[in-house]
Amino acid sequence: MERIEHFEYFIGPQHPGVTGNMSYHLWARGDEIVKIVSSVGYLHRGFEKLMEYRFWIQNVPMVPRICVPEPDVNEILYAMGVERLAGLEVPERAQYIRVLVLELARLSAYLFYFAGVAGALGLYTIPQWAIGDRDYILDLFEELTGGRVYHIFITPGGVRRDLPPGFKEKVRKVLKHLKDRLSDYDRLYFDNALFIKRTKGVAVMTKEYALEMGVTGPNLRATGFRYDVRRGDPYLVYPKLEFDIPVTGGGDNYSRVMQRRLEFEESIRIIEQVLDMMPEGPVITKLPNPFRWKIEKNDVYVRVESSKGEFGYYVVSDGSEKPRRIHVRGPSYTHGIQVAQEMAVGLRIADVPVFLFSMDVCPPDIER
Amino acid sequence: MNGEMEILEKVKKAFGEKAETAPKWERQSEIKVPLELLHPLLGYLRAQGFGHLAMISCVDWIEEGEFELVYHLWSYEKRLHLLVKTRIDRENPTVETIIPIFRIAETYERELHEMFGIDFPGNPNLTPLFLEDWDGSPPMRRDFDTRKYVEEKYGMIDLTKELWKREEPVLEGENGED
Repeated sequence: MERIEHFEYFIGPQHPGVTGNMSYHLWARGDEIVKIVSSVGYLHRGFEKLMEYRFWIQNVPMVPRICVPEPDVNEILYAMGVERLAGLEVPERAQYIRVLVLELARLSAYLFYFAGVAGALGLYTIPQWAIGDRDYILDLFEELTGGRVYHIFITPGGVRRDLPPGFKEKVRKVLKHLKDRLSDYDRLYFDNALFIKRTKGVAVMTKEYALEMGVTGPNLRATGFRYDVRRGDPYLVYPKLEFDIPVTGGGDNYSRVMQRRLEFEESIRIIEQVLDMMPEGPVITKLPNPFRWKIEKNDVYVRVESSKGEFGYYVVSDGSEKPRRIHVRGPSYTHGIQVAQEMAVGLRIADVPVFLFSMDVCPPDIER
Repeated sequence: MNGEMEILEKVKKAFGEKAETAPKWERQSEIKVPLELLHPLLGYLRAQGFGHLAMISCVDWIEEGEFELVYHLWSYEKRLHLLVKTRIDRENPTVETIIPIFRIAETYERELHEMFGIDFPGNPNLTPLFLEDWDGSPPMRRDFDTRKYVEEKYGMIDLTKELWKREEPVLEGENGED
């Protein structure tokens, strides 16, 4: 009789374990994973190639599509890259509005993340709450930019329009609501015995391993390495703002979730300061005629801290009206392919979706 | 700014005139080297604390018949980004893998192999990453035309002529009367 060595399982391409279309092929012996191979390609849209065919300003509506849960980092990166190459100055008020948008986007991405991890654990009340609370932030975005998910708001030179009247008060109300809700989340979720039991000590990543494998962002800080692009390679007005870089340090699923929970509070703190410190003034500089806008031959790498890790753009201009090459570094590129393939070995089957969600693997930014 | 000049001078001392170094932006410098110095240089920089390989980019300079490979290195201690650039021949693009120096390079090389057709001897996993059953030329090269490929592979229905066709107005009856 033939002996069965292991069972094969497939996660994806459509599965709650991954926020997008991507699949993992698992080999399991009993309940233990012995091999995992990631398979991408379901979402490849060829944005990098398409950008080479378009004028500099025409790419603005396309870049946010690169990352679905947090599109604004792509807008700011594209804008920062073009501004550096073209030597554009951004008005100070626009910089504050940009930080406001980025931090609101971070809050909404973290709420999405909390919902994802809880859903993978089977705690279905939390996704309902978190997605509901995220909707308040999307409402703010809708009023500010006209779009709920893709905002196409940050353009080279500034932002598209000023804050509508009474907007600051609405933001303050939403922030107060989120702060009040955090204690509810603590009781239901972060102090939940089931959550702690399922996540503590699972998929432990050491600091050395994380640094070697290019792990960035909250996943790196969860291993105990204190580094944040907003402090390490600062952009916009972050040097003027006061905030801490929390570090948890366990490196397991639990610390990765708690890391985000701590950073959630810091983002609220940043937004409160931005609302108080925002100066008056113009929000966009005058741009040249988009059809004749040529940018000198040069290249630059820009990076920001996204909710998933270091997001970077390498923008190359050859002196013409169109970009020569734009290369996108998505944080999930390393987290979702090589790191996941090595870290998931030895986990139980039910822990794999929790692990993938705790790493915040986001297929759209792997594939562009 | 001091640390930046320091590392650039160290590189100049160790690798001689062949390594062109220049500060480029705030906290960002570039080093241009010929291909034979690439691996020693990357190993040297890794030992100097540039442990984070952010990505490997490739720019197709088709007019000059060359690919430019850009290795993005970041040092957490020095807070400096280095663009390590090298040019390779476009006709026969081959670069020895850098996996022994940066293990994370595997996927980046895999993508460059697929999208630009660059060969990386020594990389054990150069299987297709995003594309499936691909038979055309590597798609991120400048001479690959997306529109032409779509027309040839899938066919295109051109409605423009029908939609914008101008017809002479038909008048009913004589002089437009019923």
